[in-house]
Amino acid sequence: MPAPAHVAAAAPAPAAEFVAVAVVVVIRAAPLAGRGLTCKTVSMANSTFKNITFIVTKDCQLACKYCYLVGKNTKEKMSWAVARQAIDYIIGHSEIFNEEAVVFDFIGGEPFLEIDLIDQICDYIKRSLFEKEHPWFNSYRFSFSTNGINYHEKTVQNFVQKNRTHLSVGITIDGTRAKHNLNRVYKSGKGSYADVVKNIPLWLKQFPDGATKVTISSPDIPYIKESVIHLYSLEIKEVNINCVFEDVWEEKDDSLFEEQLILLADEIIDREYYKEYKCSFFSENIGKPLDRRLQNQNWCGSGMMLAIDAAGNFYPCTRFAQYSLREKEARIVGNIREGINANRLRPFLTLDRCTQSPVECIDCEVAGGCAWCQGENYDAAGTPTIYQRATAICKMHKARVRANNYYWNKLFRKIEKEEWKANKKVEKCCNI
Amino acid sequence: MLQYLIILLDDTSVSYCHYENTKTERRLISLDDLKTGIFFAMKQNLMIQFVYPDYELPEEYGQVIQSIDNHKIAPCSILSDETNVCVTCEWEKLPQEADTFSKEFVWVLRISKNNLFSNYEKLSLRIKAIKRLNLVITDVDTFREEDFSIYKKVLSHFQTVLKEQYSQDLYPQFNLLSDRILLDSMNNCNAGVENITLAPNGRFYICPAFYQENEMDSVGNLTIGPDITNRVLYRLDHAPLCRICDAYQCKRCVWLSRKTTLEVNTPSHEQCVVAHLERNAGRELLLELQQSENRFSGKSIEEIDYLDPFDIRKRERE
Ligand code: SF4
Ligand code: SF4
Repeated sequence: MPAPAHVAAAAPAPAAEFVAVAVVVVIRAAPLAGRGLTCKTVSMANSTFKNITFIVTKDCQLACKYCYLVGKNTKEKMSWAVARQAIDYIIGHSEIFNEEAVVFDFIGGEPFLEIDLIDQICDYIKRSLFEKEHPWFNSYRFSFSTNGINYHEKTVQNFVQKNRTHLSVGITIDGTRAKHNLNRVYKSGKGSYADVVKNIPLWLKQFPDGATKVTISSPDIPYIKESVIHLYSLEIKEVNINCVFEDVWEEKDDSLFEEQLILLADEIIDREYYKEYKCSFFSENIGKPLDRRLQNQNWCGSGMMLAIDAAGNFYPCTRFAQYSLREKEARIVGNIREGINANRLRPFLTLDRCTQSPVECIDCEVAGGCAWCQGENYDAAGTPTIYQRATAICKMHKARVRANNYYWNKLFRKIEKEEWKANKKVEKCCNI
Repeated sequence: MLQYLIILLDDTSVSYCHYENTKTERRLISLDDLKTGIFFAMKQNLMIQFVYPDYELPEEYGQVIQSIDNHKIAPCSILSDETNVCVTCEWEKLPQEADTFSKEFVWVLRISKNNLFSNYEKLSLRIKAIKRLNLVITDVDTFREEDFSIYKKVLSHFQTVLKEQYSQDLYPQFNLLSDRILLDSMNNCNAGVENITLAPNGRFYICPAFYQENEMDSVGNLTIGPDITNRVLYRLDHAPLCRICDAYQCKRCVWLSRKTTLEVNTPSHEQCVVAHLERNAGRELLLELQQSENRFSGKSIEEIDYLDPFDIRKRERE
């Protein structure tokens, strides 16, 4: 299932931070033994990495109400021939794809619906990297965002076992049964909570640090607090929760949202969840003004990523493929036969924050952490441009900043008091 | 701020720029739209540039056109005293000898890269006979690495020809070389910002190329006036590459940019490299003139180590 991805990424991915995400890759020893290589752990932290996404299918078991994929269908499935040609092109052009490491993402629809193809793709990637002695052979990862429904199935589990040390899997669960079933429903309308939640223990056993993505749109707001706490109770330690970027917000949504976040802040602090659990809504780095020159990077990584669809077309990210766009034509930046069209990538690679932002955003006093999705910007723009920032998220970001300030003020005060108490004890002991 | 209104008098009006006019059927602007367009220009304080087809207009059109100060852009087949800009696609049509008549106006030569590469030596002899030549390469987007090398050689030849002329105190202007020497800041086409086009259908377009490509691409009409969504994107300060660039003579063609990169504010690699080869040839000519002729002493063009400003952005990112 495509993560409800065109949401305000609370875990930021601006250009500068995009390269700094820590990914640990373990090289499997078995196939390498013959060449005298041993099993070792390679850290991708601080290395630049390429994100390559295979859109393996546009089909999904679910019909989530907030899903941005307007053109889902059962027909467009990637063929092995297309996948192989894409891999040959990418691995054969290390002068273009010259990042130090790579993350191969598989998305759909629901990617695990095409587990046999994915298995074939991953085997071929590993073999090609090995045979070509490609620098990525030490630094690759396969990444999945799934709805979790068929996670327990044998084919999926075999794949997980086989690639365990090179794998990241995120299962999307939206919170409590009520919140999850509000949006994440089968085509019949039936909620999918029960079928997902039963796979969470297995997933967490295999990926104890597994994080989930939660998407907030207008009707979800009243469920925010209980949903995050519910996910913590399932032992999911990292909840990446975001508001959608689309213009869906009702008049009082920002106050309701702020209210929910304050309740959540109280709960996280009073019950000391903050010691072990994370919620991406609260971040020390958001809500400050941004310098026009020094903090002028683009937010989103589109253009630095590459997505490939069943027709063998390349996109700056999946959000620019036709099935993700409501209003605009797909932005194709090449294909597996002719390669990358460098001119079509230029606008993505020269984008900066100020050139695409309205004056209100450039001068905004709480701009830090206010995210955008280039794909939604493009889809919502008045002309077919990626240079017009959509700001439907504005009032929600401002509400988040207020709640975030509250959270940190309350948390710091609590820690300060605790430290003070602890120091007092030490002082008393010393005075004895 | 808008300063010019370009009025295409007919669907077959001559192309004087990068785009090709593929329309062959005549469609004259209606007299009413012509009058309203002129009225609009008068109120907005815009200088009008009329772009002519290759046939004679009905008399009443001539009278209306004469009611306002204007520039006439016309194909060389209908050259007259009133022509300001004379356009041809055949270099052979450029005058061979200087005569007072052809010295009066600007010549525009639209030429493909292959035609230029094959005929530049002969063509360069015609520069002497002309007050100003604007050479427009019609297929910049097709340049490949090997073409850049040939183009460098072509420019170097033009450089020698111009230097000879300047040594004899003759100063023909040749856009590809002399403009950069004379300019101190960007002098781009500025379609959508300084000029806008009124087409024969009575609607406004960013420039004639946008009309030729797709009539649906209009940005207003004579009733509501120009209405350009995302107008800032046509401005230099909203073009991340061009605003850090000093190829001042470059047209910065927004139509070509959109065609190649899908964004009006982002030029293609080819557009930039071609413009930088011209810039660098202009720089060399300036240095030669300063050294041997002691001319243009106050001018300087910096030496740079890139041909595409995208490389600067790339370095910044790395
Ligand atoms: S969208 Fe609103 S909150 Fe975000 S930067 Fe712009 S003005 Fe500030
Ligand atoms: S050379 Fe390129 S960057 Fe410079 S003005 Fe021309 S189009 Fe813009």
